Amino acid sequence: MNTLTRRLIAKEFFQHRWMIASSTLAGVASLLVSAGPGIRYAIGSLLFITAFVSFGVVLAMISIATERKERMLQFVLSLPVSYADYVRIKVWSLLACYAGPWLVMSGGAVALVLATSHLPDGLTPFVVLLSGFMIANFSLVLSGALLARTEGVIVLLIIVTNMFVSLFLFLVSSLPGIAAFKDGAVPHWNATFWAVLAVELAVLVASCLAPYFIAARRRDFV
Amino acid sequence: MHSGINISQTDARPMYLQIMEQIRQRIAAGDWAAGKELPSIRALAADLRVSVITVKRAYLDLESMGVIVTRQGKGSFVAEGGPAGEIHLAQLDEHLSAAAELARHIGLSPDELAERLRRVRDKQ
Amino acid sequence: MNHAKHIELAGVRKKFRFFTLENLDLDLEAGQIMGLVGPNGAGKSTTIRLITGLLAADAGTVRVLGHGMPEAQALAKRDIGFVSDEMKLFSHATVGWHMDFVASIYAGWDPQYAATLVKRFNLKPEQPVKGLSHGEHVKALLMLALARRPRLLILDEPTSGLDPVARHELLTEFTDVLRDDSRSILFSSHNTLDVERISDRITFIDRGRLVESRDKEDFLERWRRIQLQMPAGSALPELPDIIGRAVDGQFVTLTTNRFSADMLTHLGTAVREVHRMSLEEIFVANVMHHREARGE
Repeated sequence: MNTLTRRLIAKEFFQHRWMIASSTLAGVASLLVSAGPGIRYAIGSLLFITAFVSFGVVLAMISIATERKERMLQFVLSLPVSYADYVRIKVWSLLACYAGPWLVMSGGAVALVLATSHLPDGLTPFVVLLSGFMIANFSLVLSGALLARTEGVIVLLIIVTNMFVSLFLFLVSSLPGIAAFKDGAVPHWNATFWAVLAVELAVLVASCLAPYFIAARRRDFV
Repeated sequence: MHSGINISQTDARPMYLQIMEQIRQRIAAGDWAAGKELPSIRALAADLRVSVITVKRAYLDLESMGVIVTRQGKGSFVAEGGPAGEIHLAQLDEHLSAAAELARHIGLSPDELAERLRRVRDKQ
Repeated sequence: MNHAKHIELAGVRKKFRFFTLENLDLDLEAGQIMGLVGPNGAGKSTTIRLITGLLAADAGTVRVLGHGMPEAQALAKRDIGFVSDEMKLFSHATVGWHMDFVASIYAGWDPQYAATLVKRFNLKPEQPVKGLSHGEHVKALLMLALARRPRLLILDEPTSGLDPVARHELLTEFTDVLRDDSRSILFSSHNTLDVERISDRITFIDRGRLVESRDKEDFLERWRRIQLQMPAGSALPELPDIIGRAVDGQFVTLTTNRFSADMLTHLGTAVREVHRMSLEEIFVANVMHHREARGE
């Protein structure tokens, strides 16, 4: 990794340091709220999912779409990088920025389920799948923002990926292999779980690699 | 090194002529003695904030008039043996030849030209 | 690698939906300043984007510092300082952060020169980019590009939006670059006064085509306006290389792009005055002539 790559990755962490910190805090705080029974759990988990999703969307939008719209991309491209370098650096630096809060929030959610008595441990596989969905969904937003060339596509991207969240919650929680064990006392790591996790992983890998292939063929960058 | 030369963009004369003129004045006044090294083309261009090609043009013209000599790889120097008076004479010849040229265009005979010169001088 | 030609464009074509840049040839040698002049929408920025690798040509070749563009742009851009009117620094960071950032990337960064420029341009390193005025922003960009002493400076409309004092300071820095004859500058502008003063070579472009590219002194030597007074009824002598004539009663004004003393001999006693033309006049006359010749 050369100096420029290192500096550009460091720049992302520096630029988003407050967002990383505050999103992590908001995630943890909403987990603490949802540790309570009844309505607290409902509100807390809703806040948690909102914080988790919007962190990813805002991170990708500010770092990619705003940077392009405000012509900071032109400054980046005046540096000794190719467009393919730029894409590679963006994908990995934003994944790295996302990874910290993602680990804390995912780990926190699993820990919460296991530690609290009123949340059944059977929920754990679903929570793990939710975490997997979050990072897969983020990578989708990330690569979509890198590939989009117009404002309209960006807006569409935000709407669609937000819809995916509701779809995921509804569809995955109602899968027979998940729904049957969610309220059980022990987690069931069954075939359904592994299948959904595999899909999430595939989406993650595909959306991280797609910009590479498309950027390599793109010839005009402004 | 500051040359003290100034050029103006509102002056009707082209920039290279302004540079030539001022170098010749300094030599004629004796401020720049024979053998003195002139600023390099690039240094003078940077000083005057004009293009290299403009200064190059001025130096080439001064060289072809014998006012300066350029030694390859060494730089440009005020020409030897050209006392101030001779440079003045060279300058005068230049103006006169321009006048002669114009006279030829408008069909003045040499005598008529000489007559006009006399009249102009008397008026001063 | 010391390549004599810093920029070489041959037969370059770039097509957009509403604009096509065509058949563009351009050469810039080490040690020269080239001014790229054209009306709005002529293709100046497109040309510069092709040179900096932001756009890829549909046909023809683009070589910069010996590297093929846009393929080898990462390598070429190590020695290019590129500033465009449209380029923006990171709004979340300060000017000083950008100085550290650029210093860490380029081997040629000169901290002392950077400090001098900061002072001369009246910049404050601790100031966030967000709060800079347009002029300050341009000066910050130029400071970052100049202080790393690149071999090739490419500047798209660098003086637009700057006050006269800042422009003067900038021209000083530009000509200073050329104390070193291995460096060069390409800059676009519609301020012909700046171009006239500091350029060695001038390239005029209009409507996506090259009009003319040559040494500045050539332009200034070859273009003249000749005013004639023709007695009533007399015919104008036929002359080659006259690209414009305006008649007002007995007075005729000819414009030529290949002036020579022979021309005056030929015209004889009718000549009243011969005027040199400013670069701006040459530019306008040249563009109009070019458009006419193309039947536009």
